[in-house]
Amino acid sequence: MEIIVCLKQVVDPELPARDFAIDPATLRQIREGRPLVISTYDENALEAALQLKDQSGAKVTALTIGPGAAVGDAVRLALAMGADEAVVVDEPRAPELLGVEKAALLECAIRRIGHVDLVLLGCESADWVERVVGPLLAEALGAACVTFVSRIAAADGQLLVRRTADDGFHHLEVRPPAVLTVTSDEAIRPRLPKVKDIMGARRKLVQTWARADLDAPGGRGARAVEVRDVSVPARTARCEFLPGEPAEQAAALVQRLRDLKLL
Amino acid sequence: MGEVLIVATALDGPLARTSLELLAAARALGPGAEADAVLVGHGPGFAGAAETLRRHGAAAVFRCDHPALTAGQTDAVLAAVEQVLRVQQPRVLLVSADTIGRELAPRLAYRLGAALLTECVEVSAVEGGGIVARRQIYGGRALATLAAGNGPVVISVKPHAFEVPEPAAVAGKVEDVAVDIDPAALPARVREVVREQAEVGLEEAPVVVGGGRGLGSVEGFTMLTQLASLLGGAVGASRPPTDAGWVPVSWQIGQTGKTIRPALYIAVGISGATQHVAGVTGSRTIVAINRDPEAPIFSVAHLGIVGDYREVIPAIINKVKEAQGG
Amino acid sequence: MEVTLLRGLVVLLLLAASAGIFARKLLLVYRLIRLGGGPVPLAPAAVRLRELIVQVLAHAKVLRRFLYGVLHLFIFWGFLVLLSTIVQSFGEAFIAGWTLPLVGAAPWFVFLQDLFIVLVLVGVVGALWIRLVSRPRRLAGQNVFGAYLILGLITGIMVTLLLARGARVALEAPAWGRAAPVSAAVARWFAGSSPGTVRAAFEVGWWGHLLIILYFLTWIPEGKHLHLITIAPNVALRKARPRGALAPLDVETAERLGASRAEHFTWKDNLDAFACMECGRCTEVCPANATGKELDPRRLHTDLRRQLTHLGPALLRGAGEGLARLALVGDVFSEPFLWQCLTCGACVEECPAANDHIDKIVEMRRHLVMEEARLPDTMADALRSMEARGHPFRGAGVSRTAWTAGVTVRHLPAGERAEWLLWVGCAAALNERNHEPLRALVRLLAAAGVDVGILGDEETCTGDPARRVGNEYLFQTLARQNIETLQRYGVAKIVTPCPHCYNTFRNEYPQVGGRFEVWHHTQLLARLLDEGRLRPTGDRSAVLTFHDPCYLGRHNGEYDAPRRLLAALPGARTVEMAQCRDRSFCCGAGGGLYWMEDRVGERVSHVRARHVTAAGAEIVATACPFCLLMLEDAGAAVASPARAQDVAELLAASVQERH
Repeated sequence: MEIIVCLKQVVDPELPARDFAIDPATLRQIREGRPLVISTYDENALEAALQLKDQSGAKVTALTIGPGAAVGDAVRLALAMGADEAVVVDEPRAPELLGVEKAALLECAIRRIGHVDLVLLGCESADWVERVVGPLLAEALGAACVTFVSRIAAADGQLLVRRTADDGFHHLEVRPPAVLTVTSDEAIRPRLPKVKDIMGARRKLVQTWARADLDAPGGRGARAVEVRDVSVPARTARCEFLPGEPAEQAAALVQRLRDLKLL
Repeated sequence: MGEVLIVATALDGPLARTSLELLAAARALGPGAEADAVLVGHGPGFAGAAETLRRHGAAAVFRCDHPALTAGQTDAVLAAVEQVLRVQQPRVLLVSADTIGRELAPRLAYRLGAALLTECVEVSAVEGGGIVARRQIYGGRALATLAAGNGPVVISVKPHAFEVPEPAAVAGKVEDVAVDIDPAALPARVREVVREQAEVGLEEAPVVVGGGRGLGSVEGFTMLTQLASLLGGAVGASRPPTDAGWVPVSWQIGQTGKTIRPALYIAVGISGATQHVAGVTGSRTIVAINRDPEAPIFSVAHLGIVGDYREVIPAIINKVKEAQGG
Repeated sequence: MEVTLLRGLVVLLLLAASAGIFARKLLLVYRLIRLGGGPVPLAPAAVRLRELIVQVLAHAKVLRRFLYGVLHLFIFWGFLVLLSTIVQSFGEAFIAGWTLPLVGAAPWFVFLQDLFIVLVLVGVVGALWIRLVSRPRRLAGQNVFGAYLILGLITGIMVTLLLARGARVALEAPAWGRAAPVSAAVARWFAGSSPGTVRAAFEVGWWGHLLIILYFLTWIPEGKHLHLITIAPNVALRKARPRGALAPLDVETAERLGASRAEHFTWKDNLDAFACMECGRCTEVCPANATGKELDPRRLHTDLRRQLTHLGPALLRGAGEGLARLALVGDVFSEPFLWQCLTCGACVEECPAANDHIDKIVEMRRHLVMEEARLPDTMADALRSMEARGHPFRGAGVSRTAWTAGVTVRHLPAGERAEWLLWVGCAAALNERNHEPLRALVRLLAAAGVDVGILGDEETCTGDPARRVGNEYLFQTLARQNIETLQRYGVAKIVTPCPHCYNTFRNEYPQVGGRFEVWHHTQLLARLLDEGRLRPTGDRSAVLTFHDPCYLGRHNGEYDAPRRLLAALPGARTVEMAQCRDRSFCCGAGGGLYWMEDRVGERVSHVRARHVTAAGAEIVATACPFCLLMLEDAGAAVASPARAQDVAELLAASVQERH
């Protein structure tokens, strides 16, 4: 089985609030000086791929888009965890691209990689959380699609997956080729690489392709939208105490939650 | 040939509440905007779904009833909706960003060559025919304003971003559409649906209610569990309750427990020691309920209630039920 | 002088047989020790000689349990002195009535021999009392057969010796007889017996003595009494590495990372195993063991020895590969066992055999973490955080410079320069409870006119937690990064409030090429106090106790500087906890355990908080950011009336009040 795992490098989502800032020129988070990590759910996707490799012997290729120099750490970690090869699409503008454009680029890269049975990626990226790349990619590749998968097993040429739903789980049978987006689960906690694998990763194949090296995407595809503005709502540092009797406090709280779209 | 078409689902059950929220989103696109609905589903409860949609303001309801249109069968829903779309060709397609909608919206946008706006919390139409939407990004730390120009656009709407609108029927009809779906040919087929409310993992739950030493006993957690269920979330704990054996060790949140980043964290009877707080600083909104106004938790909370949880929590539960029941 | 050839011949033959068996067994032990790897750099000869004298001859560590120590001292010195009687007995096999030349018949010598016979017997009685009446917990789990056998043999040797000596005095009335009160007393029993009886008694005593000794010789290499042979070499072959430093490892070229089999340790580790006399004092002082956990430091040596002995012959034949055996890591030592160690060093401090328990645990942790990537989830998260963010404190809501609000301190990355670098450390910078002590420290240093700067965001974790849990690779990566930063800024002198950072800079960074002059903040403050540059005048009336941090105290020998500071606080009264100084009880955060769950038995930190209360202290003073966090948390958990405060906070409040 040939598996491709798409990894996105993002600014550490656990950054202290004080270090979070938007660049007014690009309308994206300022990356400079901040630690970069592999997007949380992409790591789960990689772990799921590696478990499939452990169980049924698959080849796992890590695919990422980014300015070549910046993604080195992500690629090395993926290879150290157990991916067999890596492909980097060198795109300096990667941090600015939104899901629709990313999906198109990934489609081109995957076509160039060749035959693929399964594409795994995180259910959402830790930064823009658009949740579109997986389904768009499935359409572009003509593959089956299931999102928010928390378990994957291969059996008799089919994939048995468990999707996490709003109210429980769905167990599905999927016919490859398939694109699955992965959510987190205890069973797919990303593994810590063994040191000899960290060192062995240096010898694994990493191909870097420029965007110009790739063919244009096939099919129409969804249209990109324009980012008009990105604003950071000011959060007061002080706690707002809700006054009154319990009934009043409760009412005030529920109202605030509704205002915050949490209810 | 309405401008706006919503995707309403009643898969294996009654009409989803989020489908009604879409009607409110449709109204936000313009006071006079009329919304049609494509209704997909099967089974008990499906019979009244179309009427409910009409009652809340849907004009034409295109009803697709097929045994394959059940919980989790995105490919079937996709086929049915696409069939209706090709005929109706709406300008705007509104989908709820729920389990099915998350898969549906991008795939439909791709097939239609439409603009794609997902996880929106606000939508509006602008002069000249464009659509503007707002969504949260960076874990809720920022708000993005996006614009799709003229041309078809698919919008997925975040659940609970809009309220179910007041009933306001408009002229319209219910039309049954025969859909042609071969269940065996679906690339992804649901074999089993397991409905388990309690299984939402702490680390994925959008809402977490945490209990601390201040609860006094394990009984306090019963109340918290009730609240969490109502809010669609999970229950966690600081270290003392897990030490005391009141709750499982896996519930512990903190430096040696789980790190959570929910949209809402409610800390009940938790003092706010660094050990615990380290596990929740990523929460978007922190509400603290504690008897001690000097408790350190209030220095990291956004909303605070000083009081006895035994009185406050039941009051909150009542108010939440009220808000949801309506 | 009667030459008794036949007797001599028999004895010679018996000696040959006994010595032969002894030598064969000892040779096997030697070869098993040599199964271990190396090289192990040793300390300078002068140091090693000093250790030999202080530890072996003067029994320094044994005497930490004074009464028990004295009893053993009797037996040990008894052995040394009475070696002369053994030589004499052999001599008498050939020449009747032979004594050692020069001293053999000297009254003082003879008296000494008699004295030590009594002392040895006192020692034996004491030992029996310990085993049968006192019954300390640490002796449970020992091989009691061996213990009683030895006591029996020793008693036998003494009794037969006395019998022979007494009979000789009765028979021959030698000149030295008057100088030997005990032997003379025995001789008086024979008053009225026929010479034949006395002669027979003498033969029984003499033969008995020799035979028991010859049997004893063959028995020494078995069991814990091998320590008679191995303890002196083990003490004398002391490692060069400073106490707080773990063993270096070249991760790139090593053929394996850590120990997963009995033969993966060093020859010194193996020698430790054969020098262990199973006294159990290490286990007795282990905080993990004391709180009901599986960890049992003694087993590190007894079980390793058992493994080597059991597998040894096959290993020596080169048949190691296909051997069916228990997994060292997992079966012999379970994973929980290995993860419960705080690396506090209490065991090492106590061990009279100069064994190093920590090295072995860390070697096995290295295998688990670097070769198998198996470790507690929360620790794995901390390690990943160190790799991604440069610190182990996931969820820290503050940056490294947040604590500087309200104080002025030079910022090296901004181009400023200072004489001292204040290395803040992750635990202090990223945990808000430690911010006040940091500000206090900066104010004190400013008041004393010390020029100090910080690296701010350019600090990255020293790597100590990674190293303690066995991730040597991550430690070296972080260390090299820090050394490069420090060298880039031309840093020569470092002062730090964290004993872990202090230990790592001082004792471990030299292994990776970084040499700096390092002071702990209490040491620098104490010096400033001595020089009169700090004058605490504000009243600090309170009952204080000082909790010795493991990495400042035991690992680096600093117990006094913090105490001098506390003593200088006007109005403060210091009480010592029962377990203080080199007997301090770990706060529970060491060895990476800050990031691991302490769920078996009682929490180590809670026990320590109770020590504070028991000492009657209102304030427990700390000198470590981890200790402060642990003791504050534990104090709340056990509802202790005492507050935890850093020494710097206490001092600053007293120095400030002058204004």
